Order: sequence, then C-alpha cells, then structure tokens
Amino acid sequence: MPDIDQITSSVAQIKAGFEEHRYICSDQIATAVYLAFHLRKPILIEGPPGVGKTELAKTTAELFSLPLIRLQCYEGLDEAKAIYEWKYGKQLLYTQVLKETLDEVLQGAKGFRESVARLHEFGDIFFSEEFLEPRPLLKALKEKDGCVLLIDEVDKSDHEFESLLLEILSDYQVSIPEIGTVKAVAEPPLVFLTSNNTREISDALKRRCLHLYIPFPDLDLEQRIIHARVPEIPPELRRQLVAFIQELRELDLKKVPAISETIDWARTLLLLHSESLDPELVRSTLNVILKFQEDIINVQGEITAITNKVKAGR
Amino acid sequence: MERTLANFIQVLRNAEVRVSPAETLDAMTALELVGYSDRAFLKNSLALVLSKTVDEKEAFDTCFEQFFRFEDVRNQALEQDHGRSGEGSEEQDAEQQGEGESNGGGGSEAQTSTSGKQKKSKGGSKQKPSNNLLEAEEEEDLGAGPMAESSTALGKLLMANSRVELTVQMAQAGEAVDVREIQIFTQKGLYARRMMDVMGLGELNQEIGDLAEARAVPSRRLGQELKRRRDWLREEVRDYVERQFLLHADVSGKRLREELLRKVKLSNVEHRSFRLIQEIVYKMAKRLATMHARRKKVFKRGQLNLPRTLRHNMAYDGAIFDLHWKSVKIDRPRVFAICDVSGSVANYARFMLMFLYSLEEVMPRVRSFAFSSDLAEVTELFERNNLEDAIAKTLHDYSGGSTDYGQALQDFKRNVLDDVDNRTTIIILGDARNNYGENRQEILKEMYDRAKRVIWLNPESRHAWNVGDSVMRTYGTYCHQVEECNSLMHLERVVGNLLKLSTN
Repeated sequence: MPDIDQITSSVAQIKAGFEEHRYICSDQIATAVYLAFHLRKPILIEGPPGVGKTELAKTTAELFSLPLIRLQCYEGLDEAKAIYEWKYGKQLLYTQVLKETLDEVLQGAKGFRESVARLHEFGDIFFSEEFLEPRPLLKALKEKDGCVLLIDEVDKSDHEFESLLLEILSDYQVSIPEIGTVKAVAEPPLVFLTSNNTREISDALKRRCLHLYIPFPDLDLEQRIIHARVPEIPPELRRQLVAFIQELRELDLKKVPAISETIDWARTLLLLHSESLDPELVRSTLNVILKFQEDIINVQGEITAITNKVKAGR
Repeated sequence: MERTLANFIQVLRNAEVRVSPAETLDAMTALELVGYSDRAFLKNSLALVLSKTVDEKEAFDTCFEQFFRFEDVRNQALEQDHGRSGEGSEEQDAEQQGEGESNGGGGSEAQTSTSGKQKKSKGGSKQKPSNNLLEAEEEEDLGAGPMAESSTALGKLLMANSRVELTVQMAQAGEAVDVREIQIFTQKGLYARRMMDVMGLGELNQEIGDLAEARAVPSRRLGQELKRRRDWLREEVRDYVERQFLLHADVSGKRLREELLRKVKLSNVEHRSFRLIQEIVYKMAKRLATMHARRKKVFKRGQLNLPRTLRHNMAYDGAIFDLHWKSVKIDRPRVFAICDVSGSVANYARFMLMFLYSLEEVMPRVRSFAFSSDLAEVTELFERNNLEDAIAKTLHDYSGGSTDYGQALQDFKRNVLDDVDNRTTIIILGDARNNYGENRQEILKEMYDRAKRVIWLNPESRHAWNVGDSVMRTYGTYCHQVEECNSLMHLERVVGNLLKLSTN
C-alpha cells in the first residue's frame, strides 16, 4: 500500500511515481493530477487519439492503489446505465413471495383507508437501497476507500448525459428520486473524463473540471516513453523511429500516428531484429503506423527521404 | 494576491478566454495550494483551471507570458546587475507586491514627499531643455571611484540597484495615474510622462542638474550615473506603459471593430479584416449551433417503446402503466446551397459558405454548388480540405465566366434535382443578374415544388432589384422566401430562421 500523502506531496513526486509505473509524462500532466488530488476536482482530458488519455487514469489508479471504475460513453447512454437502475426482477420476485404475507399485515384492518395506512407504515421498501442496482457512477460514490472514476470518451454521449454528470462532478453526489441524495461515502472519487473532441463539450461541464490538453509528445519525451514501454529496443533504432514518427506527424495525413502506434512499431521492429531503419523495412511495416490506405500511398514516396533525414540527424 | 489574480483574469477575458466566477474561485484555491514561487508550476496550474479549449490555452500562454514576468526580474534583482537592456518588470508580481508592502512605507513616503514638490516639477518643461543641453554635452571622464550619496528618494532607489523596489514603485505610479485606462496608443507618451512625474522625476532632474555643477568629483560621478539610470528608467516606464496598453486597450479596440464588422456590407470589408470576419462568423455560427442543439430534446411522444416499457413495468407486476416512448429525433435541415461565385457576388458566397460549414454540428448535411455559368458540386472539396482552402479553391475554379442562371439551373436539374425531396432546403445566393440570358424559371418552379423551402438571398439592396438585367421578380415568384442579405447580421438571421423552421 503506497503512501498517497507522500506521493502527492509534490508534482515531482507524482511524476516519479508515474515513471515507476512506466507512464512518462510532462509537467503539465503531473500538475493536473496534483491539483485534481488536492482540490478534489475532476480532470477533463482532451487531445488527439492515442496520446495516453485513458492510460493516465489507469496509471493513476495503479499509482494510488485505488480501484478503477470505468464508464464507457456512447450515444444513447442514459442514467439507467450510468447511475442506477432498480432490480426489477428482485422487486417482482419479492412481490410475488410477499403476496401471501400481505394478509397478515392487513389482518384486523378495517376498511380501505386503514389498510392503506398500514401499508404506508412499511414505507417504500421496494424502492430502497436493497433493490438498487448501482451503475458505475453510483458505484464510484459508494467505494469506501475512494477510487478512480474514468468516464471515457464523454464526447460520444448525448448532450443530455452531460447534464446528468454535472451533479456528480461538482458535489460528488447523485439524486435518486425514490431515495434521495446519495453522497460519496468517504473519499470522493478522483474523476477523469476523456474526450476526443468529436464535439464541443458544454461550458457547464468544462467549468467544473480542470482542463488538460495532452498534445503529441516532443521528440525527447516520446523517446523516453518508448524507452519505458519497450526497454529492449536499441537506443539508436529508438531515436530513429521516434524521429521518423515525428516527421510523419508533420505531413498531411488522415490519421497521424499516435504514441500507441509508435509503441506498436517499436515492438514490431524489435520482433524483426532490426538494428536501424532502412526504406525497405519501413515500407513493409508501414501498415503498423498508418491506418488508411490513402495515407500509406501518400507516404510511400517520402519514405526514402525521411529515412535518410532521420538517419543523418543525430 | 487576489488583486493580482483578478487583474490577470481581466486580461484573460479581454483576450477572449471565458473565465466564469466559479473558475476564478477555483483559481484562487489552486493558487493557495501552488503559491507564486515556482513560475512554471503556477503557469501549468492556472492553465488547467482557467483555459478550457486549445485556442484558449494558446491565448492563456501569451497572456501569462506578458503578465507574469517576474522571474527574470527577480533573477536580475538577485544579480544586482547594471544591465539596462533587461526587460521591464510587472506590477502584478504578487511577491513583489508583498515585498512592496513591506517597504511600501518607504515607497509611499517617497511619493508623498515628491508630490509636494510636484508643482515644482510641473516646471519640468522649463527644466527639460536645460537637461537636454546637458545630455548633449560631452561627458567628462571621471573614472571609477567612490560616489556621493544621492539625496532624492528616486535617486537613492536608482542607485540601490533594486529592480524589485523600482518595479513596485513603477506599479504604484501606474496605479496612481490609472494607466490601465489607456485607450489609444497615442496616449502612451502622456502616461509614461505622468508616471515619471509621480515617481519623482522632477526632483531627480533637479538633483542631476545640481550635481553636474558640483565641485567634488564623487558628486559629479554620481550625477553622471544618475543620468544614465534615469534614461534607463524612462525606457522601462515606456515599456511598462506599452505592455499595459497591449494588455488592456488593444482588445477593447478589437471588440469595437468586431461590432462594426457585423453590420458593414460584406463587399466593403477590407481584405485585412477577413481574418476577423472569419472569427465572427465562427462565433455566430457557434452561438446558433448551441442554441439549436438544445432543441433536440426528447419529446414525450412518438412511438411506444415496447421493450423499455415492459422492463420498467416489471416492478408493477407487469401491469403497464408507466409508458415509455421512443424519442423523436428531429430532422436536421438538409441544405443545398447554390452560390453564384461570379465576381460581384463572390465575397458574399465566401461568407455564406463559411457560415454554413461552421454550423456543421447542427447542420451536418450541407451540399454546396457553385456556378457562374456552369454549375458544379463542391461538397467534396469542403469535406477534403479545410474551410479556407476549400473556399479559396471554389472561388478560383468557378468564378470565371459571365453569369448564366439559366445554364446553372439546367445543370442543377440534370445532376441534382433527383436528390431534392420534401425535407430539403435550397438556398440560392445570387444577384439574379442574368445578362439578359435565358431565365429558365420553370426549373426553379420544379425545385420549388419539390423542396421544403427555397430561399433566395440577394446581396443587392432591395431597390436595386429588377433594375437593368436583374430578374429577381421572375425568380422570386418561385421562392418561399426572398431576402436581402449583405451583412453578417442578415446571414445570421436567415440561417437562424432556417434552423428554427426545421425543428417544427
């Protein structure tokens, strides 16, 4: 059990902690986690796909040894799937079973009014916590030692769902009409929201969050990431392949290669026992980093030039 | 400390970073946690709390760099350097302000003591020429050696080499003359002089003058040194005012320009304002988009959602009394935009296309066509390229040739008319000046019959219609709506109506 207080005592500590978990990050990212922890604010992470937005939440959970609760957003996601639902089956079953006992309860009651009054004494048993099926958001609030809540790809959900999130994001509570307000049990969860920017997130949501934009890493940072993720790769090849990817990002491509693609490529090259890049090798493995045929065709012509440039620049 | 932050947020708002009061509070709590000591840390933290889009982050970076410059200042203060090339410092450094408070007594004393003599220095105009004379003189070489003590407050401050204190003084002086109120750049000199006056320039000039005539070498040496430092200070103050101007005034100017541009005729817009117009278009489009995005609420009507109803009524022993409906998705308008891109109308076409495509979020299905004589679809061009390139290319490729509406309509009929159905809105942008060619209005009638709406936007003002070769009347018959449209405001209204109608 790591000492959370110790880890979060400074940005540098957090950064070092991440590095131990093989997540290499910039100061900006570490600062975001630091602030999120101390201010108890959710972080909204934006950035191009594949720069480690989801990974950040996962690593944070690992680092703090907290459970990670993940809510994947998609169009049509509603509160029944995100917050809670009633256990209809159980409710139904219990009503059936209790039908017999109903007579006992109502025994001696005179008239309709008295019967109803008696029934009222039992309150809304069927709409109590026992019959509540917690979904990720509610589950996160009920976690005793706190947790990391990851709301992934929030931009994929509908506008209405965003509004649903507001309550939990600002006050760490949800309102269930039949029960009332459920507050976070102990430590409020550390919330990460990720967005790929397919649509603009509403201002109300943004206002409640710290906003972290993760861009593509620079040459140095990316090299360190590859070093952490694929430590077996020879340094020279690592430098070349990262530089190559960086060059590719400058081109007009449908989908530019992200960090995950760089890592995949590094693994591929490692598997092929290559020592350094050459145009032929790049050509045959290009489909690892480029995911559109159009892009591959566009890049074909440039391969030799880029490879040479990358090899020359040391 | 809070004041500093408030000032900074003001600057951010001017730079169009939207900061809500709630975010201001967040920033304050973050600040308590982070403190001012580590600049990069502070910047990262505030960026997380205050700027919420990529654009805003860029704006934030610039503002932060301009606003918080204290690091280099402090370093220089530590080094006690003599450099006069160093960049100026900023009032907003809270630590400095903290320090400023500790020695603030001295500072304000200096101010009050000088303000007494301010009247004297009002005669500074008299004194100035003599100063200039002095400056023109060859400086005698006195060599290094001991210097006398300066007698004036400002002189002492200058000789003390403490940039921090000077900065504080400068900030206080700036505050005293309300430098933040500066509006136009011609005021810069005025504000700089006023600030110097407040800081005690008159006294200092007096002293320098006296010292130059002094007999003792150390005194004269001091005089020279003071003069050098005074000139340096003047530069600093000027820089300071300049920065304040950039931070505070430039923006309100921009806002004013934007306001004007919304109303001005689009064909009169100068080329250099295009960029700004584009921003406005985006902003207006964004507003429309958010306004209408809210409209796609789920209504409680439509088809019964059987699975959901059953599931939710299980709790009631299968008795169905809690009904659930399939939500009605509102049809977004399908827009066909036909733009005349011949010389006279090209500029309008540019902005309309820009507007329509900026509305992508609420109007995802815009097909656009351009013609001057032959009509061609440019939708794909817009999908492939970014907006500006696509517009430039469209105008370049299709704007040659004289206008022929008949031909264009014929092309439209041949290629596209089959796709027009009763959910389609057709917007035609053109001046209806057909060069006395064939009108072919029967095709427009056919479009009118098939489409949900046909809207004709004419960039000419109404009284110019039907004059000369304009056949607006003929075409107007077969349109649901004919509008004059030559400014962004018109455009916004038309598109706004379009969205409103489409949700009914």
